[in-house]
Amino acid sequence: MKLEDLSIPPIVYDLLRNRRFLIGISLFIFIVCFSLVGGLIYTRNPFDMSGPPEQPPSAEYPLGTDRMGRDILAQLIWGTRYSLYVGVLVALIAMPIGVVIGAIAGVKGGIIDELLMGLTNIVLSIPSILLAILIAATLPTGMRTYEIVALVIGVTSWPWLARAIRAQMMSLREREFVYLSRMAGYSDVRIAFADLLPNIATYVFMAFVLFVNGGILGEAGLSLIGVGPSRGITLGVILYWAATMEAVRRGLWWWFAPAGAMIVLATSSLMIVTTAVDEVFNPRLRKQ
Amino acid sequence: MIPKSLLKYLVLRLTFLFVTYIVALTIIFILLRLVPTNPVDRLITQLLQFNPNMTPEQIREYMKAYYELFGLDKPLWMQYLTYLFKAFTGDLGYSYINVGRKVSDIIMSALPWTLFLVVPATLAAWFVGNAIGAYAGYKRGSLFEKTVLTLSLVLSQTPYYWLAMLLLYAFAYRLNVFPPGQAYPPTMVPNLSLQFILAVLYHYILPFLSIFIAGLGGWAIGMRVLTIYELGSDHIQFAEALGAKESVLFKYMFRNSMIPQVTGLALSLGGAVGGALLTEIVFSYPGMGYILNRAIIQTDYPVVQGVFVILIATLFIANFVVDFVYALIDPRIRIGGEKI
Repeated sequence: MKLEDLSIPPIVYDLLRNRRFLIGISLFIFIVCFSLVGGLIYTRNPFDMSGPPEQPPSAEYPLGTDRMGRDILAQLIWGTRYSLYVGVLVALIAMPIGVVIGAIAGVKGGIIDELLMGLTNIVLSIPSILLAILIAATLPTGMRTYEIVALVIGVTSWPWLARAIRAQMMSLREREFVYLSRMAGYSDVRIAFADLLPNIATYVFMAFVLFVNGGILGEAGLSLIGVGPSRGITLGVILYWAATMEAVRRGLWWWFAPAGAMIVLATSSLMIVTTAVDEVFNPRLRKQ
Repeated sequence: MIPKSLLKYLVLRLTFLFVTYIVALTIIFILLRLVPTNPVDRLITQLLQFNPNMTPEQIREYMKAYYELFGLDKPLWMQYLTYLFKAFTGDLGYSYINVGRKVSDIIMSALPWTLFLVVPATLAAWFVGNAIGAYAGYKRGSLFEKTVLTLSLVLSQTPYYWLAMLLLYAFAYRLNVFPPGQAYPPTMVPNLSLQFILAVLYHYILPFLSIFIAGLGGWAIGMRVLTIYELGSDHIQFAEALGAKESVLFKYMFRNSMIPQVTGLALSLGGAVGGALLTEIVFSYPGMGYILNRAIIQTDYPVVQGVFVILIATLFIANFVVDFVYALIDPRIRIGGEKI
């Protein structure tokens, strides 16, 4: 990936003209607004019994109510907000770990590279969802806040990025501009972060988005198995309630369908954005 | 005869997996020992409720027997070593809840169901997803490619278990064409009769579909990009310039693009198993996910520990098999030289 292109305005312009990018980003902004502003307009509390149980969607309850008479639209608004929150936290935790480990391994080489990659490969071999379930299952119920759940997912999901960053660094470090920096006597750390990292900026952006997606999906998975945020509400928690209270068997489609659809919508919109960014910035994918 | 380079590669992989397995076992051990639970106290309380006239003497004897049964009477380092050693022999201790039941028995009743579900569904999704992705990449710019890309993007983000809920709702409860979960009718006893096998297959379709469909998208997306890269490569353009037929070109391109997808298969198995565990919960399918879910709720830690030990061991064996296949199809390893 040649990313020296990053500073050239026409490319950014290309991005803004890319239809896929615009669709993805508008969809995502819409979802963010829905979750942030929705709660101000639609003021029902997602935990309150605000009506009779098992009401199908109606004018009074746009998405119906669950078995305990709680309003599903309110749950969806707040669930989306906290699912996004967990997703972004996961990205903020996992990305620095992956970038730093990958950058150090790629630039330093030698024994440090061997050690860091050994660690990375070991964590990579243990499926992150299994590791996260295991850690979350051993936490006391009261400790499973949004932040702790994000931490658990974050510390188990960085290895693939470390590997990718290392590979990028290895291919970049033999370039001339790196030799020049070396000759100027700059330290390895400065070379890694000032010369090499800007070259993989879009890559890192894409990784961030993938981590947000991984965080949203990971949280939903943990919640479904019963080890998600214990006192909060996320899209995963809604699905967990629906699953444990037999929403499917009782035919309450308005309970489980919107939460899953929101997960798919949020994560796909971000995926569409990354594919579009890749298509615009990656010369090998660009149309001739 | 196996070439020396191949042998060296396989030995290296095996050593790595062995070390990683021990690290994984250690992590599982440490994490589950951090939880403050005392299964013996709980069991004694139960016993007292059942039989309030027990003498302190009897209680002490029961306690001693329980501590011995769970191996909790030894110091921690010895528990760890016994656990490590036993993890390789398949002895996983006893359940805290179903007293006297071996964890290995509980797991052996569940593992076949999970494998029966995950392996065919994942392989099918891999084959079909890659074929669709390759064709989409090959037909760059066509309507087919755009449709496949959009659909794949959405599918790759669809949680297995949500798709499972939708399928269950639509086909089992609305249309009544498939049974509502479980692996076979509760009235039947597992046997090898044709009737039972048919019933199992009938119950199998929905869980299989939810894993298969949710798995397709990711492969198609990856394969599409790989194909586009491959189409731009020198050897394909050379073959094209020579006037090779389209089917020949597609074959060249497909074979080269598949190599990274084989490694991808190994890496994705863990995620597929994780997804399948959650799907099992939705379908009440009697596999590892169902057992794990129950064990977590009941804080039956030997079972939780056993499920993880066996799942990770199974994944590592699968990984090794994929590595072997990878070595066979990649000439760089088969003939020698560096693995990139």
